[in-house]
Amino acid sequence: MTRAAAESRPGGGGDAPGTYWLLWFERSGAASYVSHLDTVRALQRTFARAGVALALSGGFRPKARLSLPLPLPVGAAGLDELAVAEVADGAPPPARALGALQAAAPPGITPLRLQTCAMRPRPRALEARYAAEMRGDPGALVAAATWFAAQEGVTVERVTPKGRRTLDLTRYVGDLAVQPVPGGAHVTFVVRHRHDGAARPQEVIDLLAGRAGCASVAHHLTRVGVSYQGLPRDASSGGEE
Amino acid sequence: MQTPSTASERSCPSGEWPRDELEDLLSRVTRPGRYVGGEFNLRLKPQARPRVVLSYPDVYEVGMANQAVQILYAAVNDETPGVAERAYCPWPDMGDLMRARDVRLWSLESQAPVAACDLWGITLPHELTFTNVLEMLDLAGVTLHAAARGEDEPIVLGGGPAVADPWPLAAFFDAFFVGEVEGRVAELVEALGARTRAERLDQLGRVPGVWLPPRSAADAAGPPARRQVFTEFARTMPVTRPLVPLLEAVHDRAVVELMRGCTRGCRFCQAGMWYRPVRERPVDLVVEAAARTLAATGCDEVSLVSLSSCDYSAIGEAVERVRALRPGLRVSLPSLRVDSAAVRLGRFGAGQRGSATLAPEAGTQRLRERINKGVDEAQLMDAVEAVFSGGFTGLKLYFMLGLPGESDDDARAIAATATKAAELARRVSRGRARLSVAVSSFVPKPHTPFEREAFAGEVVLRRRQRLLHDALPRTVKAAFHDVSGSLVEASLARGGRGSDAFVEAAWRNGARFDGWRERFDLRAWSTAAASCGVTLGEPAMTDPATAPWREAVDPGVDAAFLDEERRRAEAGLHTEDCRRGECGACGVCGGGVEMEVVA
Repeated sequence: MTRAAAESRPGGGGDAPGTYWLLWFERSGAASYVSHLDTVRALQRTFARAGVALALSGGFRPKARLSLPLPLPVGAAGLDELAVAEVADGAPPPARALGALQAAAPPGITPLRLQTCAMRPRPRALEARYAAEMRGDPGALVAAATWFAAQEGVTVERVTPKGRRTLDLTRYVGDLAVQPVPGGAHVTFVVRHRHDGAARPQEVIDLLAGRAGCASVAHHLTRVGVSYQGLPRDASSGGEE
Repeated sequence: MQTPSTASERSCPSGEWPRDELEDLLSRVTRPGRYVGGEFNLRLKPQARPRVVLSYPDVYEVGMANQAVQILYAAVNDETPGVAERAYCPWPDMGDLMRARDVRLWSLESQAPVAACDLWGITLPHELTFTNVLEMLDLAGVTLHAAARGEDEPIVLGGGPAVADPWPLAAFFDAFFVGEVEGRVAELVEALGARTRAERLDQLGRVPGVWLPPRSAADAAGPPARRQVFTEFARTMPVTRPLVPLLEAVHDRAVVELMRGCTRGCRFCQAGMWYRPVRERPVDLVVEAAARTLAATGCDEVSLVSLSSCDYSAIGEAVERVRALRPGLRVSLPSLRVDSAAVRLGRFGAGQRGSATLAPEAGTQRLRERINKGVDEAQLMDAVEAVFSGGFTGLKLYFMLGLPGESDDDARAIAATATKAAELARRVSRGRARLSVAVSSFVPKPHTPFEREAFAGEVVLRRRQRLLHDALPRTVKAAFHDVSGSLVEASLARGGRGSDAFVEAAWRNGARFDGWRERFDLRAWSTAAASCGVTLGEPAMTDPATAPWREAVDPGVDAAFLDEERRRAEAGLHTEDCRRGECGACGVCGGGVEMEVVA
């Protein structure tokens, strides 16, 4: 189906003002443990329950046009996540729709605010800030972070469906800070999203745990905010452009 | 294997699971979303009592599709002062981790230990989930044998279709509920208010439909429990605010039960005997339920379910009116009847390139008459033509092997029927048709006309599977049910008193998730069979001629009716659907239980 044909049919979308919505939401609690695709499905269902029809893709198996530009890892909460939705004709005004979306969302997914876009937004994540708690010797965890900051390169290996791949974590991770707390440490860091990829939060946790000799488990792993390129002004999450 | 302990040993101080420990477990297992709840339409009643935990003994995604749990969850939470929470069987990776860390099974809603609840209701869908029941009891830290349970431990109540013969699980349950529970939920919850465990059990035993198994080999079994029929079914709104998982479930669609019961009288079918009589909800109620359920779930498809939805008296009107609720809404009907009109209705549920399933069950007319299928080859071919001329691009034909009176020629005849259907399909769809054949093994079930028939056995089933496989054309895809699993099913479906020891031995040998082909462990079952003196495939610990299940369960269907149906099967006589023909005198109707059909 051509784009013109897709846009000519009901709910086909287009670039009319207000057609594209940016939904900022929080993912927490039980919802943190579902996959990226399940989160997308949950949001699509939230729109349907709220009575906001999403535009559909063309083809034999039309799909609702809603996407999350930056997937959250399974097990991670997100304080200010972004969904880009293309709504069908006849959608209610965003101010009214937000309340309906909040009422329709499942526990753990909380719509925070809605913005409209006249043009299809093409957000690209630049940086994502994470926070987590780790259990172990606080001093060892602080030392691990100090060691990382002093390195010019730290290579880690990643197993992918296409085989093993190595990457230098120092290229993708910045602002690593470890604050001792009783029984462990509060860890914060920034993952830079480059054109050739990004680090996974768990790789940072694994590295620290390996150096500090503690369990490689991130408690309360949370993506605090993300800065995007390609969004309207004031559209980045977590208070950063 | 950990030693079962009592509730008092394991409760967390706050009554809630330590968050860090749960998080740690979840970070180490596949699909952690299985263990945390958080669904749409979740009910949270943290202070409510009594606390009931509902379980389906399989993994979360399968259990979430079960309607019984949805019905009970809504009934307890919305209509009683109590609270219902849920727990499903942890997948082996989680089960192993829980044992290694001595973590006990928790409920999804409150994350509190299941063992600390007042009543643990476990629905029993089929025999190959039995070892999962033991697995869940063990992971919860609930004493395995009901007779040894302590005062603080929950009452474990079994229900569901596999309760038709409760003996294989009798040692592990405090009580069984036989039949449809909707009309008795309030009484069951009220019985939990008694002071001591013994009093609670005594109160439960007074609720119609509850059977208390004997607590020792020396005890005589109590009187059989009469199967309960929910007589208000046709006047009751179905569940319209079901739980909808965030994880992709087995079935992702809104469900409306438009009818209960089926009187077609297929002689192999346990559900057809078990859920009698037919009760149809009025079309207005079905349409309103569909509208409410769609709004509450956000689904874009609704399934009008029952044992045989095409037999619903006003199915055409119901489908049309539900379709009219929303442009583009798909309305699906499970288990299409083998006729062209039914197939045309089924088309509304398919996507633009959907597939349909028809169940002729047997390859020859002689055998179809014996099982009272009531379908001839001309009707089947009409239906096949309707499938492909109506726009479906795929068709699955469902058959059984090992039916009573079946010969090798009957098995070959399945291939002939499938070949003919494939040729017709190719002609009608101009070569685009996909035709497949699914073949299961017949297992005789209690309370059916074939309840005393012999199971065909491994050798015969494997030979006929091979015959059929070799006779099918390459263009027809064939899937055969695993015979090993059927052997276990056949031993348990008609197990006698003492057969619980066989189930326990298999579980102790490592049997779990027996319904999952990749998890099924024949060696665990073979070893258990040898140690218990059971021959796999033969009913465990009993002679089916004695029908020991009748000591526990009165299904409402008369034994004389089943015997007469068996005689008619041997004579190849058809018995009419009592909805359209004369009463078959099955014995179900009467005493307030009546067939209710839409005018």
